[in-house]
Order: sequence, then C-alpha cells, then structure tokens
Amino acid sequence: MSIQELDRTDARVSAPVPSGPARPPVIEVARLHKEYGSTVALDDVSFTVHAGEIFGILGRNGAGKTTAVECITGLRTPDRGDIRVLGLDPRRDRQELHERVGVQLQDSAVPDLMRVGEVVELYASFYREPADGRELIATLGLHDAQHTYFKHLSGGQKQRLSIVLALIGQPEIAVLDELTTGLDPEARRHTWKLIEKVRARGVTIVLVTHFMEEAERLCDRVALIDHGRVVALDRPGALALAATTSKRVRLTPIDPLPEELLSALPEVSAVEHHGAEVVVAGSGDLVTAVVLALHRAGIQAEDVETETANLEDAFLALTDETTHADSNGVTR
Amino acid sequence: MSTSALTLTPRQRRAFGLLVAGEIKIAIRRPVGLLVAIGIPFALLVIFGSIPATTRPEPALGGISFFDLYVPTLMVFVLIAVGLTGLPQQLSSYRQQGVLRRMSTTPVPPAWLLAAQTTVSLILAAIGIAILLGAGAGAYGLALPHDAGGDILSVVALLLTAAATIGLGLVVAAVAKSPQIAGAITALFFYPLAFFSGLYVPVQEIHSQLITDIAKVLPTGAGFNALHAAFGGQSPGVLPFLVLVGWVIVCSLAAARLFRWE
Repeated sequence: MSIQELDRTDARVSAPVPSGPARPPVIEVARLHKEYGSTVALDDVSFTVHAGEIFGILGRNGAGKTTAVECITGLRTPDRGDIRVLGLDPRRDRQELHERVGVQLQDSAVPDLMRVGEVVELYASFYREPADGRELIATLGLHDAQHTYFKHLSGGQKQRLSIVLALIGQPEIAVLDELTTGLDPEARRHTWKLIEKVRARGVTIVLVTHFMEEAERLCDRVALIDHGRVVALDRPGALALAATTSKRVRLTPIDPLPEELLSALPEVSAVEHHGAEVVVAGSGDLVTAVVLALHRAGIQAEDVETETANLEDAFLALTDETTHADSNGVTR
Repeated sequence: MSTSALTLTPRQRRAFGLLVAGEIKIAIRRPVGLLVAIGIPFALLVIFGSIPATTRPEPALGGISFFDLYVPTLMVFVLIAVGLTGLPQQLSSYRQQGVLRRMSTTPVPPAWLLAAQTTVSLILAAIGIAILLGAGAGAYGLALPHDAGGDILSVVALLLTAAATIGLGLVVAAVAKSPQIAGAITALFFYPLAFFSGLYVPVQEIHSQLITDIAKVLPTGAGFNALHAAFGGQSPGVLPFLVLVGWVIVCSLAAARLFRWE
C-alpha cells in the first residue's frame, strides 16, 4: 500500500504539466511591485497563466492576492512591473480587457432591490457578445430565484450570481476571488463542480483562495503568495511533495527488529518505539528504503503507514520560511 | 463620461437605458425618496391651496397671494429633495456595498451609474414639478408665467437650480463614506437651504436685509428669486442666474475632484 502510494506520487512528479507550455500564455505577469505607503503589498511577483488551466493564487489573508488580481484586471496600477493579459495592457486597454475577462471580486455587490433576472439582463447589456442569461441562470441553479431581490438571496445564491455575472460576457478568462469564502461545505463543493464545468467550456480560470483544500482539488498550478512574494509555483501535488523535507513511516514489526537495521540506512534520521509500533523518520525515498531493508532481513511487518504531505503542509513549510525573513525588513 | 449621448453606440444606449430603468424601479421599490420629493410638496400644495386666506391676493405681497408666492418655493423644495436626500444616500450606499466596484470590472464604467442616477433625479424632479404646476393651475388657480419669455426664464431657472442641488448632492456623495454619514451631512444643509427658499416663512416677510442678502447668494434663494420673478411677469435680473451658475461650477469641480469609486 505504501509503495503504491509512493509510485503514485512519483508518477505525479514525472507526469507532464497538464496545461503546460504547449498552450499559449494568456496572462503574463513580470516583476510586479506595489506598495501602499510603507506596506509592501506585492514584491517582485512573476507568473504566467496558460490558456485553459485553472490557476490558483493561494495565500493567507493580507498576503497580497487581491492586490495582484486588481493589478491584472486593470483596477489598480502597479508601481513597477509588466502585465499582459490576452496581449492587452490592463490599464491602457481596460475596456477591451473587461470585454474579454470576467471578474468576480470580494466586497462587490449589485443593488439590494434589483431582482436576479434584472441584474443579469443589465450586465448582459454591458458586453459585446453576451451569453444567454437565462441559460446561465439555469446552469447555476438560480432559476427559482429569478424574481428574488439581491438582498434576499442566500450567501450561496449571491456567490452563484456573481459567477453568472463573471461569465455573462462570455469571457476568455474568469478571475474568481475568494469565491467560496463564507459558504458551507456542501455549497462549496457544489461551487467547485461549477468551476470545473466552466473550465470545460474552455474558459481559463484564475482562482484566488486561502483554502488549501480548494486549491488542491481544483487547480492545475498554484502560486503560493506570502507577504507579497511568490514563495512557490507548481502543481499542488508537486508543491506538497517538495515541501516535505521530512517524512515518517509507521509500522508494527511481527519479528524482532534489530535497532541498527533501520537507523543505519542513509534515508533514516530517527527511529522511535511506541510500544509495538515503530516510527521511522527520515527523508528521500524513505518508504522504499525501509520496506526493502525489512524484506532483505526477512522481517515481516504489518500496518505499514506513511504520512504523506498535502498542500497544507507545503503551505506551512513554505510560508514559515518567509516568516523568518520578516526580521530582514519585509513589512507586512 | 467623456462620451456624449450623441456618440453612444446603440449597444451603449441600451445599457444606459437599462441602468436608468433599473434605478427607476429601485426608486419605486424604496419609495421614501418619492415621498419626500413628490409627496410632501404635493401635500403642502393641497393644504395651502385649500385655505382661502392663503389664496387671496395681498397688497403686502405686491398684490399676489401667499399661494402664488409659495409654489416657486415648493418647486425649489422638490429640487433640493431630489438632489440632497435621494442622490447622496443612494450613491454612497452603492460605494459602500461594492456596487460601484462590481461595475468597475465591466466594460461599462461606474460613472455611468452616476449619470443614470442623475438622470433619474431629473426625471423625478420633472414629475414632481409637473404635478405641482398642473394641480396648482388646475385646482387652485395658480398664476403661471404670462408669456414665452417668462416660460423660458422659468425653465432656465429650474434647470440651473436642479444642476446646483444635484451638484451639491454629488459633493455630499463624494465625501460621505456611508449612507449614514451622507444622511447626516444632508440634514445639516437641507433645512437651512429649505429655509432660504421660503419653505417655513417667505423670506420677504422676515424683513431682514441680512436674511434677504444671504438668500440671494444661496442656490435655493437664488432659484426662488428667479422663479418668483418669472412667474410674476417681472425680470429676475442677471444675479440669480449668475449665482446658480457659480454654484454649478463649484459643485461640479468639487465633486469631480473628491469623488472616490471605492
């Protein structure tokens, strides 16, 4: 079981990037820098988003995610750096950009006393080639709420309406900022399915989130932002793997286990006994090394378990490093 | 904003029409604004129009009735109600709730929403004033301007007063961070401005040179003076119009400079 697990992770490492460089870049961000007074919101941020991928921008609250998105969508002017979105300059070609990029931002709303159907009709009129509003409303499960005032919608319905509005212009790129914040787990999972459906329509998605699970589940690639800097950029699985500098294997040997058998292995850093259970800590190809050593010595073991890292571990590992860098003058 | 209505594409015209229609629906769904801007002046018109004493010509007022004097005041009241109570609250709540921010991500800039709001304010004002004049002339014998000259002067005075009060409202909307603050600032200006339009007591009857002089330089007093003269067949002179134009210029510049979309 543990070896299978390892194989699987290995496969993920060597597999080609799903939406790799073969696809044309649709968003190119280079050396972006933005300060508010003495606060550095973005510090030398660079990344590229390719057509058709779900690109995650992950970070804690206040890490600079929203500022990055606002710069990309032309709502804010960076102090330095270059941004190209669909070949356009977000500030200079703002109107054209907004025709082709749908944006759902935090802290945004429509008038309280407008009905869902009215809002969608109004927003459709803003675009050159709007989507079929009725169809979008149905797709997002808002058909029954068509005549409901915005202020009477539930949190989940408001979020779904904001997806409708982000997609009503038939955008090539949809930027969704903290889409599932404040939703209950069921509504969140429902929203994830919707995002996958949207991508299936060929829309590139930039997903801003502070939920690890969300990024892990949805994103092809993730830029991890901390204190305004990109601390890592990779596929969620690869990020998780890269971050695990130490791993642990738990097993319960049936035969007596000589102490030095495992501690002598170069991959192993520590061996602990907890009653019948042995916990082996180490790095690199730890599971293979341990299992092979036991096999060669003819020792049988049961309940072999590995503790695999997930994106959350990666997040903590990577952002912890930059917390230390704080003392070197990086302001939050 | 720089695009004039004449250069709008059909698509843009449709978008603007839907924005205006939406704002009108909202005004009807939350009718407080309609009540203040149309209901209250109409009620005052009916009350004072029904009292025989106020509709009798009085030598002290130069041979006209109190009612004839009061209708221009009510027209000015409609304009400050529209400009100062409706507009700033609506726009500041749009900014606070993120309605302007939401629109700023579409091809249509949020300035259009401001333009739509202004259009709706003008439509409401036109309805309110039409009701006053229609009911006043039809039911209570209100004396309308005698000639085309008086008509034109009245329309110009109404438009300039509307521009000045809407301009004031936009300045309030520009500096108020929330609808509550907008309401507080508005209340501060609303009652003095209403006073100098003669809402509580005709400025002429106070017999104070100071009050009369202050009224002359305020948008409501100037608007009243111009309307009163034009309705009575007299020449309002240039002063009220210059004062109103001054207010329009100052308010537009201040609003354009101070307005924040977020």
